[in-house]
Amino acid sequence: MLGVASGKLSSWISRQILHYSSVGGYLETVIQLVKPNWRDGYYRAEIVAVKKLHANTVEVQLKVPSYWPVHKAGQHLELTLEIDGRLVTRLFTIASSPSLAKSKRLVRLVVKSQPHGILTPKLEALALGSWVNVSKPSGDFTFQFNLQPEQRALFLAAGSGITPFIAMLNAMLNNMLDDQSRSNKHERDANVSALHLVYYAKPGEHLLLDELEVIAEQLDFFTFELLTRTKDGELSKKLPTLNADALYVCGPSPFYHAAAEFAKRENLPIYAEHFSLIPTTPDEQQTFTAQLNSELIELTNAEPVLTQLLAKGRQLTYGCKMGICHQCQCVKKSGVVKNLRTGEVSDRGEELIQLCVSQLMTDVELEA
Amino acid sequence: MISLTSEKTNQKPSQLASQELNQKPSHKTEPNYEQLGQQLDGLRAETMAKVGQEDANYIRLIIRLQRLVQWSGRILIVLGFVSPILWAIGVLLLAAGKILDNMEIGHNVMHGQYDWMNDKHINSKAYEWDIACDGASWNRVHNYEHHTYTNIVGKDRDYGYGLLRLSNDFAWRVKNLWQFVTYILLSVLFQWGIAYHEMAAERVFFGKKKDNRQHKISHAELKQRFFSKGARQLVTDYVIFPLLAGPFFLWVLVGNLVANLLRNLWTSTIIFCGHFTEHAQVFQEAECKNESKGQWYYRQALGSSNIKGGNWFHVSTGHLSFQIEHHLFPDMPARRYREVAPRVKEIFAQHGIHYNTGSFLRQYASVLKRIIRYSFP
Ligand SMILES: Cc1cc2nc3c(=O)[nH]c(=O)nc-3n(C[C@H](O)[C@H](O)[C@H](O)COP(=O)(O)OP(=O)(O)OC[C@H]3O[C@@H](n4cnc5c(N)ncnc54)[C@H](O)[C@@H]3O)c2cc1C
Ligand code: FES
Repeated sequence: MLGVASGKLSSWISRQILHYSSVGGYLETVIQLVKPNWRDGYYRAEIVAVKKLHANTVEVQLKVPSYWPVHKAGQHLELTLEIDGRLVTRLFTIASSPSLAKSKRLVRLVVKSQPHGILTPKLEALALGSWVNVSKPSGDFTFQFNLQPEQRALFLAAGSGITPFIAMLNAMLNNMLDDQSRSNKHERDANVSALHLVYYAKPGEHLLLDELEVIAEQLDFFTFELLTRTKDGELSKKLPTLNADALYVCGPSPFYHAAAEFAKRENLPIYAEHFSLIPTTPDEQQTFTAQLNSELIELTNAEPVLTQLLAKGRQLTYGCKMGICHQCQCVKKSGVVKNLRTGEVSDRGEELIQLCVSQLMTDVELEA
Repeated sequence: MISLTSEKTNQKPSQLASQELNQKPSHKTEPNYEQLGQQLDGLRAETMAKVGQEDANYIRLIIRLQRLVQWSGRILIVLGFVSPILWAIGVLLLAAGKILDNMEIGHNVMHGQYDWMNDKHINSKAYEWDIACDGASWNRVHNYEHHTYTNIVGKDRDYGYGLLRLSNDFAWRVKNLWQFVTYILLSVLFQWGIAYHEMAAERVFFGKKKDNRQHKISHAELKQRFFSKGARQLVTDYVIFPLLAGPFFLWVLVGNLVANLLRNLWTSTIIFCGHFTEHAQVFQEAECKNESKGQWYYRQALGSSNIKGGNWFHVSTGHLSFQIEHHLFPDMPARRYREVAPRVKEIFAQHGIHYNTGSFLRQYASVLKRIIRYSFP
C-alpha cells in the first residue's frame, strides 16, 4: 500500500518537476559519486574474482545485491559494461547454482572470448572490486523434473555451452545436500533416474572438469563423458549409441541440428538453449534497397539485416543478435520483413522490429 | 502583446534577391565545393573517431554539476529570510542550473550528440529539458527544419522567429518600426516564444490554415503538448516550490521568476549572436535545390557566427559560441568544437570563406544594429 503510494509520488515528482522518466535517472550522476557505476534500471554487481580457465575462456565471479531476484538454474542475465563511454550489453548464462546466489550473493559467468568481439575480450581485464551492471535473470531453459523413474535425461553440451548444465548440476547437488542434512538419510532424487552428460569441446578445452568430477562423485545418478570431434566423431554418430528419454542441448547450430534431428526421429522431447541465431538460408537469394534514416543501402535476404549493416560498418546498438534483448529494435516505416525467430511476416506499415532477426522480403524504410 | 503570426516571407522575384546577395562580399567568389565537402567530412570523421570515454565522462560531470548548482540555488533562495544576499546567490545559481540544463545538456543531448553512449537517459529521444518548450516540438522545428534549411527564406522558421525582419528578403511592414521592442519582449519571454513557435508557424490558433506543409503531428496534439509542458513548467516554479517554502512563498516565487528571466535573456542573446549578426547571410530556396554536401556546408558556414571566450563561457553557452562548428557538425559532442574550430578556420581561409567571429560585445552590438537597421524599409 505504502509502496504503491510512494512509487506514484516519485513518478509524479520525476515527471512534473524533474522531466525525467524516474527520480533515479535524474540523480544517477550524483549517486555515482558514492556508488560507482550505479545505474537506474540496472543492478550493480561487484567483481570479486576473475580467473582465466583457458587461453580464450574466463571465469568471472560477481557479487549481486541482496535484492537481486535469484535465478533458476539454466537462466541467463544481461551484463552491461561501459566500454569507451558506451554502454554495451551482452547475454550470459549463469554458471552457478541459485543457492550460491541466495546464501553468498555470488553469481558466476564462464565466458568464451569472441575474436574481435566488443565485450567478451574486455572481461579478463576487469579489476577486482570494480562494479558492473547486470539485469535480473531470465530465460526458460531450466531442468524439467518430469521424468518417470527409470528414465534417462541426456545433457548435450558443446564448448561454452556447458554453462547452463553446470548451473543445473550444482543446483541438484545442493538440493541433495540440503535434503541429506535435513533427513540425514542418503536418498536419490526421486524424480530423476539417471542423468548423462555428453560434453564436446576442442582437445584440451573442456571447461570446469574438477567441478564435474566432484558432482559425479556425489550425485550417484550422474555420469559424464568428454568427447572431441576429431577423435570421437560427430554428435550425429554418437547419439544412436546413447540411451535417452529427453534431450537438453546447448551448443552451436550444427550441434543443435544433429540433436534435433535425432529427437525428431526417435520422437523424444528436446529442450535447447542457443547462444546465437540458428542461420536459415532463403530458397532464392534476392537483393533489396533499405533506406536507413536518409541513406540508401543494398541488402540481401541471405542474412539478417543487422549482420549485413554491421558488416557494412554502420554503428548500431545490439546485444544478443538473436531476438532476445530488444537492443537492436528500430522503427520500420514501410516494407515487409520476416522474423527469423518466430517465422512471422510483418505488415507493410510502421512498426517496431528487431534488426537482428529480420529478413528482408521487400524494400524497407528504417529509422534507427 | 506581440503577435506571433508566423512567416511574412513575401518573397521578391528571385532575380532581385540574388542581385542583392551578390553584393555581399563573401558570396562572390565560389569555393571549390567538392574539396570543401571532403575536407570538412574528413575533419568530422577524424574527430568522431576520437569520441569516447572522455566525452561520456564530461557530459556526466556537467549533469552532476547541474544538479548540484540547481538544487543549491533552490535551497539558498528559501534561505533568503536569513539574508537577501543568500537569496541573490540562490537566484544566480538557479539561473545557472537552468542555463546548463537548457544549453550544454538539453540542447546538445537533444541534438543526438551523445546518442552513441547508449544511455537510456542521456539521449535525444529520452531527454526533456527544464523549459516551457516541449522537447519533441523543438526537435521537429529546430533540429530538423532549422538545421536542414538553415537560413533559407521561407523554409527555416527559426529565421527571425516570424517576428523580426532581419533582411531585405522579407517585405517591410509598419510593425517592423517597433521591432526593437518586440525583440526585447521576445528575449524576456524567450522560453515561451520557442514553445509557441511550432504552433505559430503551423497556425494552430490564428491565421489562415496552410495546406502546403506536410503535417508531422496533428494540431490537437500540438496544443495538448504545449499546454501540458507549459503548465507543468508554471506549476512547478510558481506554485509547487513556493508552496513548499511555506511562509517564504513570495521569496521563492520571485526568485524563480528572476531565475527564469535571466535564463531567457542569456539563451536568447547567445542564440541571436549565433545567427543574426550583421554578416550572417540568408539564402533563397531556389539556390539550395539539389545542393551538394560542400554547398550545404557553405550555407551553414555563412549563416552562423561565433563568439570568442574562455572555457567556462563556452560551457555556459552550451558551446553555441561555436555556432559555425555547431552548424557544420550538429551531432558532434559540443565540447569537441573547441578543438575543431582552428581547423575549420584554416579550411575556410583556404576557400576564401569569411569565418565570422568576434568578442561577445562586438557580436551583440552587431545583432542590435541589424535589428534596428531592418526596422526601416
Ligand atoms: C542466452 C544466451 C546465453 C549465453 N551464454 C553464454 C555463456 O554462458 N558463455 C559464453 O561464453 N557465451 C554465452 N553467450 C554468447 C555471448 O552472449 C556472446 O559470445 C557475446 O554476446 C559476444 O559478445 P562480444 O561483444 O564479445 O562480441 P560481438 O561484438 O557481439 O561479436 C560477436 C561475434 O561476431 C563477430 N562480429 C561482430 N561484428 C561483426 C561484423 N561486422 N562482421 C562479421 N563478424 C562480426 C565478432 O568477430 C564476434 O566473433 C550466450 C548468448 C545467449 C544469447
Ligand atoms: S540484438 Fe538482441 S534482440 Fe536483436
